Amino acid sequence: MDQETVSTICYLARLEIDKNKSKKIIQDLETIIELIGSLQTIDTSSIDPLYSPLEMTALTHEDIENSDNKKEKFLENAALSNEDYFLVPRVVE
Amino acid sequence: MSWETVIGLETHVQLSTKTKLFSRASTAFGASPNTNVNLIDCGLPGVLPSVNKEAFYKAIRFGMAVNAQINQTSIFDRKNYFYADLPKGYQITQMDLPIVLGGSIDIQLEESVKTINITRAHLEEDAGKSIHDEYDGFSAIDLNRAGTPLLEIVSEPEISNAKEAVAYMKAMHQLVTYLDVSDGNMAQGSLRCDANVSIRKKGVKELGTRTEIKNINSFKFIEKAINFEIKRQIKILEDGEKVTQETRLYDSSKDETRPMRSKEFANDYRYFPEPDLLPVIISDQEIQKIRDEFPELPKEKEARYQRELGLSEYDSQIISSSKSMADFFDASVEKTKNYPLLSNWLIGEISAYLNKEQIEIHESKLTADKVAMLINRIDDQTISGKIGKSIFEEMCLSGCTPDEIIESQGLKQISDDGAIEEIIMTVINENPSQVEAYLGGKDKLFGFFVGQVMKLTEGKANPKAVNSILKEKLK
Repeated sequence: MDQETVSTICYLARLEIDKNKSKKIIQDLETIIELIGSLQTIDTSSIDPLYSPLEMTALTHEDIENSDNKKEKFLENAALSNEDYFLVPRVVE
Repeated sequence: MSWETVIGLETHVQLSTKTKLFSRASTAFGASPNTNVNLIDCGLPGVLPSVNKEAFYKAIRFGMAVNAQINQTSIFDRKNYFYADLPKGYQITQMDLPIVLGGSIDIQLEESVKTINITRAHLEEDAGKSIHDEYDGFSAIDLNRAGTPLLEIVSEPEISNAKEAVAYMKAMHQLVTYLDVSDGNMAQGSLRCDANVSIRKKGVKELGTRTEIKNINSFKFIEKAINFEIKRQIKILEDGEKVTQETRLYDSSKDETRPMRSKEFANDYRYFPEPDLLPVIISDQEIQKIRDEFPELPKEKEARYQRELGLSEYDSQIISSSKSMADFFDASVEKTKNYPLLSNWLIGEISAYLNKEQIEIHESKLTADKVAMLINRIDDQTISGKIGKSIFEEMCLSGCTPDEIIESQGLKQISDDGAIEEIIMTVINENPSQVEAYLGGKDKLFGFFVGQVMKLTEGKANPKAVNSILKEKLK
């Protein structure tokens, strides 16, 4: 774990961290990774992956339309919008 | 230097479900902006997705059609990235356990059939739509499409040139429309693909560095985009330089591909199992039900048309090649007995009209009932084939039935022998010199007499009757 990796992780998560605290953060992350590392020493090759601790299956819905559209409220609560769209700083393609 | 192209395609098929993959909002195309959106689609906190089983059934139907393995236990994963039209900050997709694994599809080349293997096909949700050029300084976001179910079909890198890529997409289009998995409407984005293109020296095993051309949505653009990219990469390699691995966009107005800027940096999607969704289990009974209700595919239709309806191989192939044409034919067959005439009309006049108008048959004013009626009127000699063509034109314009047009324009064929004989006698009496010449051996003049009879009857005389009576009278 180094400063550059931490910067990349922060960028991916869109987080800004206090430069003064970055040393502490690097140390904390290293501790976490070590812990995961110790879990990974266990041989699990003969065990199926557990995708969920709940022994249940996904909630499903019938393919029947039931729109609960609240366009005005959705747009009203957005940081920026007009009568039809959410507006965001221009994304250049 | 001899070069070889390697292409793999990722096809996105929009499934024709009524509701979204994880919510019950409508998937209808063309609704006004942000109206097909509910709490789940716009990613509000505290909501939980539910799974649309119909999307699974459609994906499984596709899997069965390409002889793939169907994973009856299926898991969703999160693909994390930030983009304005992705409200949750992640896309729910399938990474570890896709619903469809393996399989293959046959593609029709000019003189042969090639089998392309399929790596996998997985379910995922579509993103919303960004509009970049309408509001100064802003991108406008419409979330109507967010959450629409997609089946992403990944091919093995076994496609060798742009023509094969087009053939592959055409085969996909035919299959997904036949299976009623998608409406296949490319202009509306229901079928689009990303092409991974790389070049290597002939005989070399390792793949060259690839580029990915995103979001191509027409057969024509697939061919042009790939051909441009092949030329571009070969030039780079021949100049002794290296191809950069990147994502590119095809610009049809300039007929070129160029690098996409937005998603270049730190392409790390950090996939992990979607904690909001439990595994989806498809029971054996559900699988059996899908098998029992499996639709007839083009090859089966083709064989049935030949076996049961006596159509030629050529006619059967053309009619079954498009789902909308085959559906129309199947519906018309219920209403008429003259199958060869019906197929002639479908392949001839009707196809020519649809081509000219650039529409599909279900978008025209023609219905199976009306076309079958037209065939029946020609078959029972109410009208001649020639009059049939002018009635057809009228049907396309007005949407009237053939009987209405025959009635209102007085087009009924004269098949009454007595009436025809009377007209023939008039023609004979008015043209004594031609009669003399004909009897003297000028056989070609027969056509002149037929023409005169048709002129007097405005084309309504039954040609068969005219021929036989004329022959009798001119002995």
